[in-house]
Amino acid sequence: MNRHLRSRRALGIAVASALAVTVAGCGNRDDAGRSGDAAEGAPSPGITDDSVTLGITTPLSGATAGPGTCTVAGITAYFGMKNAEGGIEFGDGQTRTVEIEALDDTYDPQQAAANYDQLKDDVFAMTAGLGTPTNRAWRDAAIADEVPQVLIMTGDPLFSDTEESPWQLGFVPIYQNEGEAFGELLASSSGEHRVAILSQNDDFGAGYVEGFKSAIEGADNIEIVDELTYEATDTSVDAQITELANSDADVFFNAMSVTPLVISSLQKAQQLGWTPNWFLPSNTSSPTAILEPGGAAAFPGIYSVSFAKAPQSPAFAEDEDVQTYLSALPQYGNYPDPPAFPHCQWSWMVGATLEQAFTEMQEPTRDSFMEALRGIEGFEAPLMLPDTSVTTTEDGQPAVSTVVVQKYNGRGYDTVETFE
Amino acid sequence: MGKFVQLVVDGLSTGSVYAALALAIVLVHQATGLINFAQGGMAVLSAYVAWWLTNQGLPLIVAILLAIVFSVVFGALVERWLMRRFERGDPDTAVVVTIGLLTLITGFAGWLWTYNNQQFPSLFPLDTVSFLGVSVSVRSLGTTAVIVVAMLLLQGLFVGTKLGLALRAVAINPQSAAFSGLPVGRLLMVGWGLAAALGAVAAALVAPQLTLTPGMLDNALVYALAAVILGGLTSPIGVVVAAWIIGILENLAAVYVPFIGFDLKVAVPFILIFVVLIVRPQGLFGRKTVVRV
Amino acid sequence: MASSPKTSASTTSAPASSATTSSASSFRQRPWVRWGAPLLLVVGLAVLPLVMTEGANDTLARIGVFAVAVLGLNVVMGYTGQVSLGQIFFLGLGAYVTAYGVQSGWNIVLVFVLTCLIPAVAGLLVALAAARLGGLAIAMVTIALPIVGVPLAKRLSDFTGGSQGLSARFVEAPEGSGLYDDQWQLYLVLVIGGIVFLMTSLLVRGKYGRAFAIVKGNENVASSMGISPYRYKVLAFTIASLIGGVSGFLYMVVVQYTSPETMSFGHSIELLVAMVIGGAGSIVGSLLGGAFYVIVPDVTNAIDPSLTALLQGALLLAVLFVLPGGLVSLPRALTRRLRRSPAGRGSAAPPTTPSSTPGSGTAAEQSETERQGHA
Repeated sequence: MNRHLRSRRALGIAVASALAVTVAGCGNRDDAGRSGDAAEGAPSPGITDDSVTLGITTPLSGATAGPGTCTVAGITAYFGMKNAEGGIEFGDGQTRTVEIEALDDTYDPQQAAANYDQLKDDVFAMTAGLGTPTNRAWRDAAIADEVPQVLIMTGDPLFSDTEESPWQLGFVPIYQNEGEAFGELLASSSGEHRVAILSQNDDFGAGYVEGFKSAIEGADNIEIVDELTYEATDTSVDAQITELANSDADVFFNAMSVTPLVISSLQKAQQLGWTPNWFLPSNTSSPTAILEPGGAAAFPGIYSVSFAKAPQSPAFAEDEDVQTYLSALPQYGNYPDPPAFPHCQWSWMVGATLEQAFTEMQEPTRDSFMEALRGIEGFEAPLMLPDTSVTTTEDGQPAVSTVVVQKYNGRGYDTVETFE
Repeated sequence: MGKFVQLVVDGLSTGSVYAALALAIVLVHQATGLINFAQGGMAVLSAYVAWWLTNQGLPLIVAILLAIVFSVVFGALVERWLMRRFERGDPDTAVVVTIGLLTLITGFAGWLWTYNNQQFPSLFPLDTVSFLGVSVSVRSLGTTAVIVVAMLLLQGLFVGTKLGLALRAVAINPQSAAFSGLPVGRLLMVGWGLAAALGAVAAALVAPQLTLTPGMLDNALVYALAAVILGGLTSPIGVVVAAWIIGILENLAAVYVPFIGFDLKVAVPFILIFVVLIVRPQGLFGRKTVVRV
Repeated sequence: MASSPKTSASTTSAPASSATTSSASSFRQRPWVRWGAPLLLVVGLAVLPLVMTEGANDTLARIGVFAVAVLGLNVVMGYTGQVSLGQIFFLGLGAYVTAYGVQSGWNIVLVFVLTCLIPAVAGLLVALAAARLGGLAIAMVTIALPIVGVPLAKRLSDFTGGSQGLSARFVEAPEGSGLYDDQWQLYLVLVIGGIVFLMTSLLVRGKYGRAFAIVKGNENVASSMGISPYRYKVLAFTIASLIGGVSGFLYMVVVQYTSPETMSFGHSIELLVAMVIGGAGSIVGSLLGGAFYVIVPDVTNAIDPSLTALLQGALLLAVLFVLPGGLVSLPRALTRRLRRSPAGRGSAAPPTTPSSTPGSGTAAEQSETERQGHA
């Protein structure tokens, strides 16, 4: 609901529009009454002729603060660099600098909703925040208030369903896509495979497994021999690894998002003498932060999916994108260490995707922004791997929906076409 | 059968992680009559100090020893300048103060060293010992051995030394302790310092496995508390045994009791606590206390 | 411990008036003040939502939600002395019942009744078992509620929506009322929360409240007076669970979304912190605790979002260092300081009327011996 309206206009109009907003929550039928109030082309909150402000609510303390901090650092670094170059020229001809206002929600849905309430009148759009429940908590409110909640870091498909979520768009591939990509690779292999599955007991783990299973359906060379779950709050998954090792599977599908648990799983499996081919999700497959300490070289193959270049990988040491990114992160993103989570790269790409939308939007309004954002096709954001791109025109899919399967080569990753 | 034994061994090594923290909690409780929620946070801080020192080029064992010295001083200072004000007051307030301390330390570590996972070097090699088809890492064996030693030292301290007796006297009744000439304030500082040192050892042992983050011991804290209550607040041996029982039963229940499974195995220690305490209110190894009217 | 009944009497009669001083209490006795002040309060609260900004309304409504949750915790912990670390579970349960009922299209009054009943019954069952234990053991059994509750909520995904949670927007302002949603929500919180606060303050001032206080003071004394500690502990726990359920309903009114994260263990600890910071065993303290729970994360976010944990910890320690009795003891601490400096009197100066002794103060002294009992 628009605060400016309430202070300026007569009570009657305000009440009428409030009712309209209320009803608009259920559908679009009364929408016209309300948009009529905000005159055609009048600037939305959070945007002036020389600047635009974006809001983020994400965990900056607590258990998920590591990746959470990255979601702010990448985008802040990207726009910090652009601002230093003088700003971004928008589709309406104005050149604006981009400011970021980030708040900590500690992965608490209630606090995320409160942060949204606090930001919504000052920011042009909400973006980049990490977490499924924390984004779901204020999704309905964002729809009712017509505030964009875009390019967020959750693989929950709900946010990419245009019908259900008209003001939302996810950035990272939905979890199903990632699981599916690996499943397809495995199904196309010539050999017989016995698969063990360990997944996080939530929508993250379930999404991966669902995608994987749909891809191997009907492939008679693949057999799932055991399937277990763990809780994100567990201190150890030794018992699960022990039981799965007992199944003697030769492929291990490990949908795990907790860094220490991935490392200890890799170590535990080696102790038990179980060395399967191992699949890891895109967010827990960092060569330096996870695979090296886990001793991943002991396994015949560590597979993961990705759409972003791994900055520490020797293959990209000379890459221009990577060098720009690695120098901007400490300079503008207040992130002095080498990025430990891929979320830093992703939010950098979110920045580039937003810039793409900004240059296309014709009016300084949220409507115009959403239109521009939904019209991006085949945009190769910086740090993107070959064969992947940002495409927002496909309903039901987030901004990035293509991933490539990669195999660990001891220091970085190589893209693979076949499973050996 | 191999799987069963392996699960038991896995449970023992997980239980040792809980036991390490639980011992420090028991020490503070024995010395001050207080449950210290910040025990894990203080231990993590010590681990960060050790980690930082190794990054400065010190050998690991020297870094850990220096971190232990740091912890003794830090623990004593926390008692003198923070907890002292609350020791005579409402115990709930004192507990909440330790929660505040935990938040503060976690935030401080996150601010200084980021929330990223840091690799803490292990005291023990990453080798595996196998016997009878069961494999166990040298790290787990080492951790368990150190914990058993710490447990025996603590038990000896409380039962067999004047210092231990004085610490307990202060915890049970500070006023009478003061009347009988004990330096109550100094003893409380010693209790906190010792517990912090023990916490530092615990953190250095488990940090390689859990990887160092500001919230590294948050999830272990609940299990450690469960072990403390189950084992009996007065008995270091009881607490360690309870932690092992929890670790083992949790694994067995998850695998062999389909209704519990891996998602609800966290309920096991609490069911255990409930059943045991109905029968033995003082815990498995605890001493009965007499409530005065 | 012989003084236990006497102190408890003052404890139970005190809470609502704990913010007053002895000099103010004669002023309070005048009839127009006694009737006028509450009336003024009601009118003020009725007007407030209309004149405040949307942001302020939202914040106030959230304070109401958690003040009710803290109040419930106070019944079992502040007044009856039983450590409960499971209060957030009942908030979460209430929120789930509300969300499920609304999604199933049940009548909202029925949903509200169920939101009171189901957590109360759950609390009763837990208490029947847990109240047999004493001291820290009851803390461990209650800690289990949120810890087991989170995976349980995920497992019962048919009812709870699994880890993705449930949304329910059911509190749009009625047509024709001319109110904004945020105003309507705040009115709901004020009315429901107000009734809960009123009923609880009557409860703890009455004969049940006295019994709670005696149980808190010394269970053996209670037994010798014919008060069954077990039954009153169960009663207090059940009431606390019921109030927790109501706070869950209010949570859905304001936040309109719940997930397993809602009842994560950390929030239960935060509620305990809020109760002590506000002032244990105090009605006003519950309100202040709710305010602390909600406002502090917003304030620390405003200062520096990357330092929230550090700042929150520091703030918590600072408040308790200055006011060990919680925020509710601020007026007393101030007047004591003011009185001391001009007159140059000793620090002893005890409050002259019993009603000006905040419950938390006496509770602190009382439970010293109790603590030794458990040690």
